[in-house]
Amino acid sequence: MSKVIIIDDEPFILMMIEDKLKKANIDVVTLRESKNAVEIIKKEMPDLIILDWMMPELSGIELCRILKKDPDLLNIPIFMLTAKGQDSDEQLGLKCGVVRYITKPFSPKSLLEMVQETLGKDKY
Amino acid sequence: MEKINTENDLSLTIQELSNAYEELSLLYRISEVFSFLSVDEICSRIVSEAVTTIGVKTAAVLFLDEDGTKLCTETGIGSWDKKREFIRDSGILWKSIDSKRPSAFCKLKETEHRDYLPGLSSLMVCPIVGKLKTLGAVVVADKESEEEFYSKDSKLLMTIAAQAGLAIENAFLYNELEALLIGAIRSLVKALEASSQWTAGHTERVTEYAVGIGRVMGLESETVEKLKISALLHDIGKIATPKEILNKNCKLDELEWIEIKKHPGLGAEILEELKQFKDIILTIKYHHEHWDGERGIFGLKEEEIPFMARILAVADTFDALTSDRPYRKRKSKEDAIKEIVSCTGTQFDPEVVASFLKWAEHFSLQH
Repeated sequence: MSKVIIIDDEPFILMMIEDKLKKANIDVVTLRESKNAVEIIKKEMPDLIILDWMMPELSGIELCRILKKDPDLLNIPIFMLTAKGQDSDEQLGLKCGVVRYITKPFSPKSLLEMVQETLGKDKY
Repeated sequence: MEKINTENDLSLTIQELSNAYEELSLLYRISEVFSFLSVDEICSRIVSEAVTTIGVKTAAVLFLDEDGTKLCTETGIGSWDKKREFIRDSGILWKSIDSKRPSAFCKLKETEHRDYLPGLSSLMVCPIVGKLKTLGAVVVADKESEEEFYSKDSKLLMTIAAQAGLAIENAFLYNELEALLIGAIRSLVKALEASSQWTAGHTERVTEYAVGIGRVMGLESETVEKLKISALLHDIGKIATPKEILNKNCKLDELEWIEIKKHPGLGAEILEELKQFKDIILTIKYHHEHWDGERGIFGLKEEEIPFMARILAVADTFDALTSDRPYRKRKSKEDAIKEIVSCTGTQFDPEVVASFLKWAEHFSLQH
């Protein structure tokens, strides 16, 4: 079973994505804060990380930079969720190695399809 | 408030929230259609949103005709036949239109509706209602999952239809206003041309040529529209030129030429109150400038001359050369093209002339 870690400080977003992915038989770990995320990611070794950009203490983009510098973690694909809709933000996100840049409010249905596509790709 | 204490209840609540969030994200995306002013663009966006959000194989937008007796397909994808029309009857589409409510039908092939909409298994329809009247309907059919339509699908379709109604009505009003504006300008130009026997039809031809060159240059439709208005109005300043000069049957003297050369500046002055016409006014003012800055009226050169004015200069000259004047006979199209080419880089912008030549090739095939 594929595993996805979702990190977002909005509990409703976490619940909603968790529910959607679990119903599609995907194992889910949710985190409401980013500060201990690196250790948890190392322990869980997920197949995909869904990350909110704007979080207190450690922002999604900073966390992304840390993950991409860690040889054990740099290959885990990252989706960035964000309310930042500017093209320049998207460019910055993509430059940091994010595979999907998803603007809030997003369609949960499309998100699931994107997750399945990314997880599927890695299997082959 | 009732306490939610079972896992099942919680899951249902999350599901509800998830549906509401789906709807919110749809609203957020579809509100972009308001930036489109073309009905075609709006309809194709509506259809593609319906397909992805509701997860259907087929979707279409139908418009009600003028007298409200026929529904005609405007845009359709999937297995929808784009020629499909429905004369007013008691069928399922018209029921939905008349009640102004969405309706869903499943297992169509097993019901009496199978001949009404052949080839479709399930269907949901929602009327598109504008502020002023019912405009048509949006139809989705055959879910990807082969399931029936549920109330969450109907809510999504209603969201799409409500936004579509406002955006389409907006686009219609815009088109009407635009037609009114162009109509008013054309009448004004006719009045102007009636005062000179030599320039009849000049404006319409210059407009055709300028728009043709603009399209070859790949200008956006909004710019082409501005170019068209500029071309229609380019000689409006001649209203203030003495009629005797405009109608003179022989060569003009130097003083008369000075009068004629005032028309671009006068045109700009006449239109200066139209604040939304800023680009157009500058195009009109500078349509007699020369690329090299020599011998123009205001002495602007190269990029200082507004882009549309450089296109208008070529179109205007091409028509002048191929029309009779009191003091000379018209040139053949080939000779006129040669003359324009010989003035490239001096009178005309080389980039515009290059596009003019491409357009001229196509133009001579047509005429």
